[in-house]
Amino acid sequence: MFQGITTNREKYTAFVFAGTVLLLLASTFAALAVGPARVTPGKVLDYLFTGRTAGDPVSVVFWTIRVPRVALALLVGAALALAGACLQGLLLNPLADPYVTGVSSGAALGATIAIFARLPDIPWLMVFAMCGGLLTLFAVYGIATRHGKMNIYRLLLAGVTLSYLFFAVQAVLLIRSGNDVHRVIYWLLGSFNGRGWNEVKIALFIVPLLVVPFFFADELDILLQGEDRALELGVEVERVKRVLFVVAALLTAVSVSVSGIIGFVGLVVPHLARLVLGPGHRRMLALSILFGSTVMVLSDLVARTAFAPSEIPVGVVTVFFGAPFFLYLLRRRPG
Amino acid sequence: MAIIELEEASFAYDAAPAVDAVSLAVAEGDFLCIVGPNGSGKSTLLKLMDGLLVPGGGSVLVAGRPASEYRRRELARKLAIVPQSYSLDFDFTAREVVEMGRYCRKGEPGSRQVEGILDRLGVAGLADRPFNELSGGEQQMFVLAQALAQEPEVLLLDEPASHLDVSHQLALFDMLVRLNSEGLTVACVLHDLNLALLYFREAAMLDEGRLFARGPADEVLSPESIASVYGVQAFMHRHAGRTFLTFSPRRRPARKLKVHLICGGGSGAGLMRRLVDAGYHVSAGVVNTLDTDEVTARELGLPTAVEAPFSTFSDEAQRENEALIADCDVVVLTAVPVGAGNLPNVTAARRAAESGKRVLVAGGIEERDFTGRAAAELEGVTGIRRVSSDEEIMTVLEEQWAASSS
Repeated sequence: MFQGITTNREKYTAFVFAGTVLLLLASTFAALAVGPARVTPGKVLDYLFTGRTAGDPVSVVFWTIRVPRVALALLVGAALALAGACLQGLLLNPLADPYVTGVSSGAALGATIAIFARLPDIPWLMVFAMCGGLLTLFAVYGIATRHGKMNIYRLLLAGVTLSYLFFAVQAVLLIRSGNDVHRVIYWLLGSFNGRGWNEVKIALFIVPLLVVPFFFADELDILLQGEDRALELGVEVERVKRVLFVVAALLTAVSVSVSGIIGFVGLVVPHLARLVLGPGHRRMLALSILFGSTVMVLSDLVARTAFAPSEIPVGVVTVFFGAPFFLYLLRRRPG
Repeated sequence: MAIIELEEASFAYDAAPAVDAVSLAVAEGDFLCIVGPNGSGKSTLLKLMDGLLVPGGGSVLVAGRPASEYRRRELARKLAIVPQSYSLDFDFTAREVVEMGRYCRKGEPGSRQVEGILDRLGVAGLADRPFNELSGGEQQMFVLAQALAQEPEVLLLDEPASHLDVSHQLALFDMLVRLNSEGLTVACVLHDLNLALLYFREAAMLDEGRLFARGPADEVLSPESIASVYGVQAFMHRHAGRTFLTFSPRRRPARKLKVHLICGGGSGAGLMRRLVDAGYHVSAGVVNTLDTDEVTARELGLPTAVEAPFSTFSDEAQRENEALIADCDVVVLTAVPVGAGNLPNVTAARRAAESGKRVLVAGGIEERDFTGRAAAELEGVTGIRRVSSDEEIMTVLEEQWAASSS
């Protein structure tokens, strides 16, 4: 939409995107190569191009464990970062992340119930988590919308309130369950451990959802001036809010149901993207996706190698690296 | 033809109506300002026009169709708003801010329009700077540019001048006048009634949500309307080729003291206004028509003994003056230069003193006496008090008022 950008800025943008894509490829490559079964870089390409070879155990490990895990990290990282970017723009709130919608808490409660009921993980944990997330989405949406208008503050407050409520229910369940506490907590902290192609299939829903916000990039830019100004400039604000809120919530629900609650990526990555390329959403959303995937793949790599052979939850890694970095940004940025 | 037409339009945020059965049409080519006290419904009226609010009663039509039935983008091509306050917490360049105005015309070529607008407003040189680093006046120009980028038929402005210094104010309104002469219809909510008088042909005045008056600006903004709507005493002056208003504080409880000013040549105008503002009953004489003091007295609506311009005082004028003096409690002879023409005024002051009136005479009469007789005229008359400044006069009167009312 915006013409007249100086060529310097265009060059800078191209440079940033090229660099980020390279970084993402390198991270993905490293994540595919490193693990208990070491795969040399040459072999990685070999495996990728020839596909699964039945006789080669490393190839089987590569295709049944490592590739789906990395693919999941790529998808979930992109989804959380994009959801955060949309919500920060939509809510005009720099503190917004995918979890303010309450959807993640609903999903967590669903997962807790599945664990508590001793249902088999596949597919029930995922199904319950997804249902919990979607039901929360409808509830928050219903509470925040009145006379066809979605009130942003009511949305935030409804999301936060429901989160507390779900947490309370969860706490009661946990106390009464005893044995499952460890599993629930491990799930809550977020992990890609043990995820396979089933989770990837669910996570593929993320792909079409990633496209939607780009159709609203101009609208998101204009909304940064406030809802009234956006209306005055011709934006159908309610429609934009409705679509993007639902997309962000769905991205979150899918992510949480396949990998648990991985914190901070959805908060920090959009800020980082904005810092590097400015607030214009067309670029910022795209960069958020690339950063999100990169950060998640690298975090998962750290999660499974740092204390090998035991693993730490990837959600812990993202916060460990994300929090100091975010504090650094806060100090560095004026105002 | 009316582009915007309100018929009996009402809107209430809560129980009390903010806009109450207002019928108002904005026709093509209009250059209209909308005035009224705080809370009289001006901003609400703009929001009704722009379909941001849906009238609870009556109708708001834009080009014959209810504003609220438009798709936003369609309406944005018909009318644009310059909002009262605009803030943007993100690092867009000023040009990007303007380009957001093209949103409603997506698909149409836009870069040339934007450049044209930036040139017109004289801000093309600033366009690549971050919007937030510009001054308030510069920012306002870019917000105007954003609205113009919509290529609207009507431009609505809500208090566009409130954050601007005088030079930016004038630049803004000069620009609006030019745009209007090129066919843009303009309706502007304004607090500054003098800016309204200076720039606008037509005005609409709101009072507690109702339309109080609509018509030529200098008729709508009459002192009577202002007194009734704002509860403030206003005076209309025509001076230096302009019509403008001055305001007095809410009338104090009237002081019964009557003060007569013997003045002329502008020596009494300032005091006259101070006395009126303080609530005294003031009269003046004898002054020549078109003399600054005569004009001021007329604009303030004071009883005045008047003589034709550049003429010596007729008997009739002098008798009138004496009648006013007889009716007053205190006479003030201001620091008016004395020539053959107005020497009778000094005589009138002496007679007043001799008849027992309290007479205050501005000091230094010797220096401004061009007849050589004025000073002598007042020599040795009892009841005359020399005063050195308007402040002293005010103090003396205040004391006398206090003494007489206790």
